[in-house]
Amino acid sequence: MAKTIEQIYEEALREIKSASNIESIKTLSIRYLGRKGVITHFLRNISNLPLEKRADVGKRANDVKKSLDKAFNQALKALETKSLQKDYKIDVSLPGRAIQQGFLHPITQITWQICKILEKIGFDIAEGPEVETDHYNFEALNIPKNHPAREMQDTFYVSDNIVLRTHTSSIQVRIMEKLTPPVRIIAPGKVYRCDSDLTHTPMFHQVEGLMVDEGISFGDLKGILTTFIHHIFDEKTTLRFRPSFFPFTEPSAEVDIRCVMCRGKGCRVCSHTGWLEIIGAGMVHPAVFENVGYDTTRYTGLAFGMGVERIAMLKYGIDDIRKFFENDLRFLRQF
Amino acid sequence: MKVSLSWLNDYIPIDKESYSSIADALTMVGLEVDSITDRYDYLDRIIVGRILNIKPHPNAEKLKVCDVDIGNRVIQVVCGAPNIHEDMVAPVALPGTRFPDGPLLEKGRIRNEISEGMLCSEAELGLGSDRSGVMILDQKQLIGNKLAKALELSDVVFEIDLTPNRPDCLSIIGIAREIAAIQQTTIKYPETSLSDSSNRISDFTSITIKAPDLCPRYAARLVFDINIAPSPFWLQDRLMSVGLRPINNIVDITNFVLMETGQPLHAFDFDRLSDHRIVVRQAKKGETFITLDKKEHLLTPDMLMICDGEKPVALAGIMGGRNSEVTESTTRVLIESAYFTPVGIRKTSKKLGINSESSHRFERGVDPEGIITALNRAAQLMSELGKGSLIEGIIDKYSKVINARAITLNVGDTNRLLGTSFDYDEIKNLLKSIEFNVEKTGNDGLVVIPPSFRVDIARQVDLMEEIARLSGYNNIPTTYPLIPAKARQPEKQFNLRNRLKRIMAGFGFTETINYSFINRSSCDSLRLESADQRRNMVDILNPLTEEQAVMRTSLIPGLLETIHRNIAKQIKSLRLFEVGKIYISRGKDNLPEEIEMIAGILTGSWADASWHSKEIGCNFFDIKGVVEELLNRLKIDHIKFTCMPDNSCTYTRPGHTAQIFQEKKFIGMAGEIHPQVLRNFDLKQTAFIFELDLNVISDFISETIRSKPIPKFPSISRDITVIIDKDLESSKLLEIIKELGEELIENFYLFDVFEGDTIPQNKKSISLRITYRSKHKTLEDNEVNYIHKNITDRLLKKFDASLPT
Ligand SMILES: [Zn+2]
Repeated sequence: MAKTIEQIYEEALREIKSASNIESIKTLSIRYLGRKGVITHFLRNISNLPLEKRADVGKRANDVKKSLDKAFNQALKALETKSLQKDYKIDVSLPGRAIQQGFLHPITQITWQICKILEKIGFDIAEGPEVETDHYNFEALNIPKNHPAREMQDTFYVSDNIVLRTHTSSIQVRIMEKLTPPVRIIAPGKVYRCDSDLTHTPMFHQVEGLMVDEGISFGDLKGILTTFIHHIFDEKTTLRFRPSFFPFTEPSAEVDIRCVMCRGKGCRVCSHTGWLEIIGAGMVHPAVFENVGYDTTRYTGLAFGMGVERIAMLKYGIDDIRKFFENDLRFLRQF
Repeated sequence: MKVSLSWLNDYIPIDKESYSSIADALTMVGLEVDSITDRYDYLDRIIVGRILNIKPHPNAEKLKVCDVDIGNRVIQVVCGAPNIHEDMVAPVALPGTRFPDGPLLEKGRIRNEISEGMLCSEAELGLGSDRSGVMILDQKQLIGNKLAKALELSDVVFEIDLTPNRPDCLSIIGIAREIAAIQQTTIKYPETSLSDSSNRISDFTSITIKAPDLCPRYAARLVFDINIAPSPFWLQDRLMSVGLRPINNIVDITNFVLMETGQPLHAFDFDRLSDHRIVVRQAKKGETFITLDKKEHLLTPDMLMICDGEKPVALAGIMGGRNSEVTESTTRVLIESAYFTPVGIRKTSKKLGINSESSHRFERGVDPEGIITALNRAAQLMSELGKGSLIEGIIDKYSKVINARAITLNVGDTNRLLGTSFDYDEIKNLLKSIEFNVEKTGNDGLVVIPPSFRVDIARQVDLMEEIARLSGYNNIPTTYPLIPAKARQPEKQFNLRNRLKRIMAGFGFTETINYSFINRSSCDSLRLESADQRRNMVDILNPLTEEQAVMRTSLIPGLLETIHRNIAKQIKSLRLFEVGKIYISRGKDNLPEEIEMIAGILTGSWADASWHSKEIGCNFFDIKGVVEELLNRLKIDHIKFTCMPDNSCTYTRPGHTAQIFQEKKFIGMAGEIHPQVLRNFDLKQTAFIFELDLNVISDFISETIRSKPIPKFPSISRDITVIIDKDLESSKLLEIIKELGEELIENFYLFDVFEGDTIPQNKKSISLRITYRSKHKTLEDNEVNYIHKNITDRLLKKFDASLPT
């Protein structure tokens, strides 16, 4: 005699209850609900029942099928939870499998930061040769031969007329010869001066800026550099502009920030002045414009330059500039 | 430039208490005060002491041994001064004292008796001229007190870092003028009262200028019957306050006037001048000259010389000569005060390597109108202090008058450049405060005549700077430029370089920056052949060291040195790279070719041993993998690695080096460092490198990316294993498949190489996997089988290969 659907249901629930592991639940589930399972078999045999009973029994059998399906799932979840709790544990304190990631040189990182801020302000990037003619490095920038201003930069000479560029300002003239105003460029790159101590290396990096258009003023120079300094350091950085001298700018300015090490109280880094020289700047000297054929009655320009190492040293608290070029991995991995 | 407040106070009232605000104000008008010290700082270890008792020195008749109370203890001091007595209060120098005239006091024994200090005279302490005995202090002085405090000695000294455009500030009066402008007071110039009722001087001497271009003005005076002696203390004190050492009255006076006015002077011993006359001329070829510092110089005709009737007696504006210097026995002096052309002085001083107080000022430009004032000041002081008699009259040869320049200044232009809103009166007052002459012209204009000492003021913009600095840069309103929203593409290389750096860092390589200069011998260390273009190095004429004497022509030496340095610090597994330029000389008078390169280096293990895996070493295929993926990321296709022909790359190991091509274009190399090169760089572990030329690869980079549809139908993969000659490059097989151009082949790669065991000697088995896919339908097995068999047959035939048994 075939079992009734109720019998099947009760029996199944009993078996589910007594099943002790996930495998037996899975087997049971197949036995009852599988393609050749008990329920399927039962449903297939409904046609043997009297016509008037078929609908009720069929509906009931389908309900049972759904209920069992739910019961199996619940049992499965309960057992799984239980078994995961009992499962062996891994030592999560063991080190993970190492991902090897390289490090970008701090000078690259700071150069990118500087350029990004200045690009936002509207400068485009320009580049030029590192071994440069005396003309582009000095003469065209209003630094004639036998002028004491040449002493401001200790120059490496390749020949009488060829030098290692002492500043990236040499690009200014090359660019102005090619373009008509408005011109706004920044020139990042390596520069060279024959000097070597805790704060000088014979090679270092600069970013120079130049903006030429009608109506550019000294006030604009202050605005741009204030924005720049507030971004590269922080909004609270106090800065001051004081007169200085560069042959290719007039008026010339030195931009100081309140010492980031001592907050202005005076320390070794700021030579106890509370201020740090950070940017040389000024309004482009008309002699430079004359050298590139710009109309000095129509155009004015601003220019500025900064040492990348110096900014990196202040931002990262590095005390010896030579570390940048020793490439000790224990140093490079810090950035 | 050093200035003492005590000296400044001679010309302008100085509130000593407010020295730091004076210093700040000077910095803010462009005269940067570098340091603030007290000139009596050297007295720091001089203490007020009392002599308790005096014993004779056992080994020296003239010396005494004293016990001296210095407050916190009693010390023994050996002293030879005649005026000491018990209970005397006197200054005691403790060991470590540096006396103004040079020597450092050390603790020691004098004739075998311990001396823990020194009882000092006024002169020894730089506080007076008395050197006859120990300085006597008031009995009421507190024993143990510092002398400077006891005597209230304090004199603040500013060290001012002057920019080369401000020679007018290379003097005490020059600085005083700036302070006067800041404080809106006027300065009191020193007075000279010389009355020349005759021109007697021309009876004794004459001046001839033969080179007026180099010496536009030369003036002289004579002082006779001079008694060379030490200067009076007030004069010595002035010099010492700015760190100069007194010598004798004549030399001190020239130095004093130089410091006071900025005009260099020279005093000649008149009796050592042949014919008693001065000739200013250029040197003769081959002429030699011995300067005051006893050095002999070979002269060239571009050098300006001050000569007497027959020979040079001074290197004009730079240094006097031995043959005419003032000595103990000098009685008659010719004082020179001149204007020499800056460029001429600078050329000569640079050529001869002499940098003097005098040349420093002349090469920047002295005040052409200040010459007579300075000369008169010196002459008067000499006749007063040297007890000499001034010969009446002055010789002033002013052959080329240096005119005062009138500059027109436009108020509107000034405000436009500075971003300010000054009016005529404000500008006038600012300029007048620094002794500029200002007149109004037209509506918006000024005519300005700068004083003769402001040699840096040449054009309108120079005046604008004066206005800006005097009103204060920080008072200029901060504004922002109005600029069109335009952008230019950066140079291609700029983006490429930054992409390369990011990709390499992602591959685990750390960026290094090595110096652009290297040792000349690096070429030999790399075993470069004599014809290698990398031997065309750019020499630096004035290198700092031999290690940095030429510009690099390869990134490899720098990287090898860097791994050497790191290995020495026990960091033995390294993946490093550098992106930078190399410089190939095109001859001394041409700019070199600058080629930007990327080079990577790999040494030690690829992965260190850990708890879950063993150490993984590295080999050629690690560096090759890096290059392949690097080029892949840049979307540079059609890359081919072929064996570097022997002797084509001298610094890598033969047979373990590949040259890299994009189609037929050589773009770089990858390989293992040659063992001899490793030895040359003192390396004991091998290293793998690659080099690529950025100029070349940037040409293959396309900025545009076009997306392709993702395949809709499934693919079928089939493997082929063939046995071929061991020496055959595996890439040849892949090339054959590529040549087929079969469109159903989606991709193919080599997945196994096997030698030995069942494979015959001189053979190897290569396994390839080919993936087939159609864009239009699901492929049937028989379609794939047909193509696959075709390929297999072709490989077998082409390479005389066989299938595995
Ligand atoms: Zn500080």
